[in-house]
Amino acid sequence: MCGIIGYAGFRNAQSVLIECLKRLEYRGYDSAGVGIIDKKLSVCKEVGEISNLEKNIPTMKGTMGIGHTRWATRGKVSKENAHPQVSGNKKIAIIHNGIIENFQSLKEELQQKGHKFSSQTDSEIIAHVIEEEYADTLENAVCSALKKIKGSYALAVISEQEPEKIIGARNESPLVIGVGDNENFLASDITALLNYTNRVIYLDDGEIVVMTKNSIRVIDGKKKKLTKKEKIVNWDVKDAEKSGFDHFMLKEIYDQPESIRQLLRGRISEIEEKINFPERVESILGTEYDSIHIVACGTSFYAGLVGKYLIEQLTKIPVFVELASEFRYFGIKKDTSLVVAVTQSGETADTLAALREAKSAGCKTIVITNVIGSTATRIADAYILTQSGPEIGVAATKTFTSQILTLFLLALKEASVRKTLGPDEIYHYILQLKKLPSQVRKILDNIDEITAIAKHLKDAQSVFFIGRGIYYPLSLEGALKLKEISYIHAEGFASGELKHGPFSLLTKDTPVIAIVASDETYDKMITSIGEVKAREPPVIAIADEKDSEIEKHADFVLHFPSNGLPLSGISIAVILQLLAYHVAKLRGCSIDKPRNLAKSVTVD
Amino acid sequence: MKAIILAAGEGKRLRPFTETMPKVMLPVANKPILEYVVDSVKNSGISDIIMVVGYKKEVIMEYFKDYKDIKITYVMQEKQLGTAHALLQAKKHLKHPFIVLSGDNIIDQKSISKLIDEPSKYSILIKEHSHPSKYGVVFVEKNKLKKIVEKPKQETGKFISTGIYKLPNTIFNYIETLASEGVYALSSVIQFIVDSSEEIRVITAESWMDIVYPWDLIRVNEAMIHQSSASTSGTIEKGVVMKGAVSIGKDTTIYSGCYIVGPVVIGEGCEIGPNACIFPSTTIGDNTVVHPFNEIRNSVIMDDVHIASHSTISHSVIGMGTHIGNNFSAIPGDTTAEIEQEFKKLKDTGVMIGEDSIVGDGVATEPGIIIGRQCKVSSLNRITKNIPSKANVM
Repeated sequence: MCGIIGYAGFRNAQSVLIECLKRLEYRGYDSAGVGIIDKKLSVCKEVGEISNLEKNIPTMKGTMGIGHTRWATRGKVSKENAHPQVSGNKKIAIIHNGIIENFQSLKEELQQKGHKFSSQTDSEIIAHVIEEEYADTLENAVCSALKKIKGSYALAVISEQEPEKIIGARNESPLVIGVGDNENFLASDITALLNYTNRVIYLDDGEIVVMTKNSIRVIDGKKKKLTKKEKIVNWDVKDAEKSGFDHFMLKEIYDQPESIRQLLRGRISEIEEKINFPERVESILGTEYDSIHIVACGTSFYAGLVGKYLIEQLTKIPVFVELASEFRYFGIKKDTSLVVAVTQSGETADTLAALREAKSAGCKTIVITNVIGSTATRIADAYILTQSGPEIGVAATKTFTSQILTLFLLALKEASVRKTLGPDEIYHYILQLKKLPSQVRKILDNIDEITAIAKHLKDAQSVFFIGRGIYYPLSLEGALKLKEISYIHAEGFASGELKHGPFSLLTKDTPVIAIVASDETYDKMITSIGEVKAREPPVIAIADEKDSEIEKHADFVLHFPSNGLPLSGISIAVILQLLAYHVAKLRGCSIDKPRNLAKSVTVD
Repeated sequence: MKAIILAAGEGKRLRPFTETMPKVMLPVANKPILEYVVDSVKNSGISDIIMVVGYKKEVIMEYFKDYKDIKITYVMQEKQLGTAHALLQAKKHLKHPFIVLSGDNIIDQKSISKLIDEPSKYSILIKEHSHPSKYGVVFVEKNKLKKIVEKPKQETGKFISTGIYKLPNTIFNYIETLASEGVYALSSVIQFIVDSSEEIRVITAESWMDIVYPWDLIRVNEAMIHQSSASTSGTIEKGVVMKGAVSIGKDTTIYSGCYIVGPVVIGEGCEIGPNACIFPSTTIGDNTVVHPFNEIRNSVIMDDVHIASHSTISHSVIGMGTHIGNNFSAIPGDTTAEIEQEFKKLKDTGVMIGEDSIVGDGVATEPGIIIGRQCKVSSLNRITKNIPSKANVM
């Protein structure tokens, strides 16, 4: 996973590329570089974040060029392995996001022809293949080169023999065209360009674009010209700025009362007691299917697990939650099953592959995503947007709560279609949904309680999270949040599973965070806490504000506002996010850019 | 020319509404007060604003990230010591003459243009006021400022300072000198400049509005709601009657049998009715639900509010996320209210309820009552005293 950018226009390319790269930094930040043509091609690369490149780059003239921020997949982090990669004759430069599968055989073939390679990357091959194929025009060279290359790519190519032109190509990695006046852009993600334009053309797999500052021509692999529609994106660039918060993650946690409102807007009608979805989604929900498969990765997978409990409870339809990276190869894809893919970016490679597999097996597919126009929305039969606005912090926060709520709305809609819930029960849930923004505000308001608890966790070597029912996947998510940004080892368990192994890890230095809901599992949870306490670790309970008993059992208590049972999960998720954030902050971690992680993972 | 807008203050007298947002972000006809100020500045041709922020700055920065066609640079004032101190924080951004305004006073564009066009080095906008002693009273001779007296004990003069000035950047020499003596109020600096026999020209503002107490929101809302254009989107069912200027946001549904008399502004994603009556000078925020058989008149209802059926709400302000039960009655009338140890005579005023409170069924509130944020009032209570935030009334 990497970020790529291309510019042809009238401004100084260097400053445009650096600025756009900063907005793509969430996609990778171990090395970066730019290649600019001002009659001659010149390339500058540095190891480290974009700011390091910015500091060390000499002033380069020229109004067209390409830039790249890398997240190493093949070849270690080094200046040689950073992009742009150049051809043997140093005239062609390319940037690449993706993985070339047949690079070994291509490399041997080229070495026999006398090509010498200076990096360990698969990407360098592309520059050499294009050089080899270059006969008349760069466009033809790229087209024939792509016929030889197998794998996934978003690509931008420049050559000093044709200094006006950038060629872009896409296959299973994201690439968009930004349309400006007397300038045009290429980028992995439209948010990088919003400072300059909100007019965008989405490329599809197998498409190639030939771009100059005042022309855009999209062709397919057979060089047939395609007509593509320009779309307007409504996000503002400053959406991607921190609004006075210390970190994007904190801003995004605080965004949640608003992101929940955005999600619910137009989707629930209190007076008519109903849930509204786009027509295509509703017509799929109206069809007969005997099971639901939710496929996702990472945080979205945990949202899916919460969704399983919600959908099964409200509709009685069996739900299977599968990791996309496993499901694509091993999952049973029956045409009587509905497949719901959950992906924030809509570009997660494994989830897309799983979606394609399911679709070709004849399953009906729905995707829940935050990004309109993303690849997933174009593969699936129907899509639901979470409408959360851009999420920049690598640790997912507001999109997690939005994904859970979307799955909850899906469960409610299906329950009303299948009549497993009556209108009055649905009305009751709608009223509870409406209370969510103010309940989240209440948690944000009592931040001091959470920061006080964070102090007890900051020096822990290891932290356990336990819960039952939907609080089990929330425990998993709480542990994931904590480990990914604070680097403390953390594990989530179903509390009934503790005695089947994890107990042996408990010591008085292993804090345990127990999510305790006032439901039928309450007594069981108290028993679990008792068992844990016997090994003397500090216990932090997250409990209903009306629960006055819990203080007797736990060392510390964080309260969440009382709400109907499944929906208190949203408040608990917010508490877990804040806890992870404040622990990471106390430990001085790089919260928005945790080591070795990137926002959306577009490689397998 | 640049403009500097002072928006760092908290607005203690506007609690509970300012507990979660700075005073400048309080909504008037579904737009923050500060946006009116920024609009006027922009329409007077200025394209570069320095905004001094402090208390709850994130709310301001988050809102204005979408603001178009104007450059906003934020400057932090950590402690709100005074207006001159606030100005000092922006010194490095102000190399040329500039305009200074407070973000919590609504001002018209024409007055700002007059100030910009005035050739003199120093100028001030003033306004006639019926209760000048609450403000900086100005004394003028031949269009020149003679004296400025902050909150005089006796009623004297009739013109007040709007706090809007055009100033040269040399004023920072004066501000720094006085700040070293512990003087942080801009009006004191201005008085010092007058005393140093500099000439300060006086210009009368056309329209200027101040918001000091919660009920001022009703008055200012009434005055500004006329400026909103009547535009209807969303769904309006058959059998809805709308008269006068009514503005309805997208994704809002007005159910059959509603009677709406403008000027009324209703935000996005609301559900109103069936059979609800909304009378003039009422603003309703986003995602608010008004159930059947309600009467709402001359009130400000913010976002996410939930009003169950058969309630009467007039001359009132209902904060974001508040839930009101059936048969609620906000009795309007005359009263004397106490805020921050000051007593204020009020005419025809209903109730002020802060953010995220829950009011049960059949509750009645006496005129001018202030209920705080996150309060719980259980059913069938009659509220005769102000209720502090986070309190429960059993």
